[in-house]
Amino acid sequence: MALLELKKVKKVYRQGKIEVPALRGIDLTVEQGEFTTIFGPSGSGKTTLLNMIGCLDTPTEGEIKLNGNKVSKLSQKQLAMVRRYNIGFIFQAYNLIPVLTAYENVEFAIRLIDHSKELQIKEKVLKILEEVGLKGLENRRPNELSGGEQQRVAVARALVKEPKIVLADEPTANLDSKTAADVVKIMIKMNKELGTTFIFSTHDPAVMKYANRYINLKDGMISTDERRG
Amino acid sequence: MFSLKLGLKNLTRQKRRNILIIFVIAFAFFGYLVMDSLMNGMEEMSFDNIKNYDTGNIQVVNPEYWEDREDLPLENLIYLNQDIVESIKKIEGVLGVSPELRFKANLNNGIDETAVIGLGISFDQYNEVFTTQNYIVEGSMFAPGELKAVIGVSLAELMDLKVDDYITLLVRTKDDTFNTIDVEIAGLVRAPNPMINNGIVFVPLDVAQQALNIGNGVSLLALKTVSGEEERISKSLTDNFKNKDLNLKPYSWKESASSVIALSAAKKGGIGTVLLVVLLIGMLGIINNVILSALERTEEIGMMKALGMREWEIVFVFMIEATGIGILGGLAGCLLGYIGVSWLVKYGFSIGYISGGDASGYGIPILDRIYGIWNYPAFTFLFILGIIIAVLSSILPSYWAAKKDPVKAIYHR
Repeated sequence: MALLELKKVKKVYRQGKIEVPALRGIDLTVEQGEFTTIFGPSGSGKTTLLNMIGCLDTPTEGEIKLNGNKVSKLSQKQLAMVRRYNIGFIFQAYNLIPVLTAYENVEFAIRLIDHSKELQIKEKVLKILEEVGLKGLENRRPNELSGGEQQRVAVARALVKEPKIVLADEPTANLDSKTAADVVKIMIKMNKELGTTFIFSTHDPAVMKYANRYINLKDGMISTDERRG
Repeated sequence: MFSLKLGLKNLTRQKRRNILIIFVIAFAFFGYLVMDSLMNGMEEMSFDNIKNYDTGNIQVVNPEYWEDREDLPLENLIYLNQDIVESIKKIEGVLGVSPELRFKANLNNGIDETAVIGLGISFDQYNEVFTTQNYIVEGSMFAPGELKAVIGVSLAELMDLKVDDYITLLVRTKDDTFNTIDVEIAGLVRAPNPMINNGIVFVPLDVAQQALNIGNGVSLLALKTVSGEEERISKSLTDNFKNKDLNLKPYSWKESASSVIALSAAKKGGIGTVLLVVLLIGMLGIINNVILSALERTEEIGMMKALGMREWEIVFVFMIEATGIGILGGLAGCLLGYIGVSWLVKYGFSIGYISGGDASGYGIPILDRIYGIWNYPAFTFLFILGIIIAVLSSILPSYWAAKKDPVKAIYHR
């Protein structure tokens, strides 16, 4: 069974009386453990597609199944629960909470699903922070971290709850090429170690080359879908 | 628990704005507590001034006299015999009985004339009930039979009189003929109740009775009682008068202080209005803060929703923050209020700018300063109410924030 299935997914936005199609019928299947990049020009529908997969938005037409469960017609409350337990997000702007330390930003995500004792939570959070190379920086607040370090915190926050799938929308867009490569390498490492499925959108060919599946979107439709290596 | 931690940590964001709102709430609380202390102090002082200088705790009067008492009639008087006073004194809780004869008079200083209230008193008995004698600022009281008078300093200033000067009181007798009482001023009084100072002339009871040709008649008997026992003593008095077939009735000081009681009721309305304004200020501050915070943290709200936080969990984070502001504002307000009320209790609030410090023209029998009193329940009440209002007023804007579409919030569209 595929981890993710999209069948004829369409999304139309309304701007007053005008209908703007963002996705025009996407058919896509993603297996567990894939490291997939979605690329394409601006306005091709990358972010909309990620939002549909991430259960942040629902399609106008079509069907989405996550882990065999139909999620395209769920209520907002149900979608929140799907996101809570199954999906991790990495944002371009990191979206860390400025008053929390790196440790607390990661702890925040796991506290939503894991009600274990303090010690067990601490172990998990420290372990993931070490995995992303932030050992020793746990007590720093976002404004005391570099952009790359902040994005690593965001990666740790997405992975700490061991989701089935991690979605990243332009995760390296705000980083220099070396830091971007470091962040992607961490994502690959976690993909290999934990078997987490990654789907990320990017414009950057230097980042794209690390993926093992390439989906090219054009005008809201998949124009090419290649697997490599 | 983490949401609680996050809500509390959020208090450290936008420090200047939060501090400003905390101060606004604190000053609103301060205003209310000071106002409450002052109003209650004014009420208590007014009541004390009425009891201690005007009516005593209870007045025993002929009911027909009571009806016309504002006109100071010389009819329906109480004709004293030792038995009445002694039987009243025997009632437990009665500390003193002072017969009083109240009459209309015109005070003449040889040049000018003004209307006054004449008050015939028996000095020793008057002392058992009232404390006016403690406020004689010049000269002394008089002894029975002496053709002497004590007047208030305000009246003395008005009529350009001093101790040892002679005055003439022009009165109408019971038989409606004119008579005069020529007396020497023995003393000047400046009592805390300005009504005493402005228009009352104290003369010996026997001198007044003789001049008015009323035998041993008095207008009323003023009683000093143990405070709070008025109701029980009134009942005993009523029974006593009934047994002796006397047409007399006890009236509580409250019945003589209707204007101050009415003022007290208005005070409650006034304090209620102040409370409403205070709460409105607090509400607007909190609502404004939650809305601004939500606007500033739109992307953060989007992230929270992406992580799978439920709406009520996001609402809870904002509510904790708002409640924190309410608690800090309340604590600061109570602290400021404590300082303000302490000052008012110790030094009072000068009313010098009101008719030279005499508030009697406004129906408030207070002179110079109004002292605040402690009302500890008001502190507790306001603090708890402040927190409740903070919580309630943060609910709607918090829901507004939590209801944001996650996609729009994340991308701040």
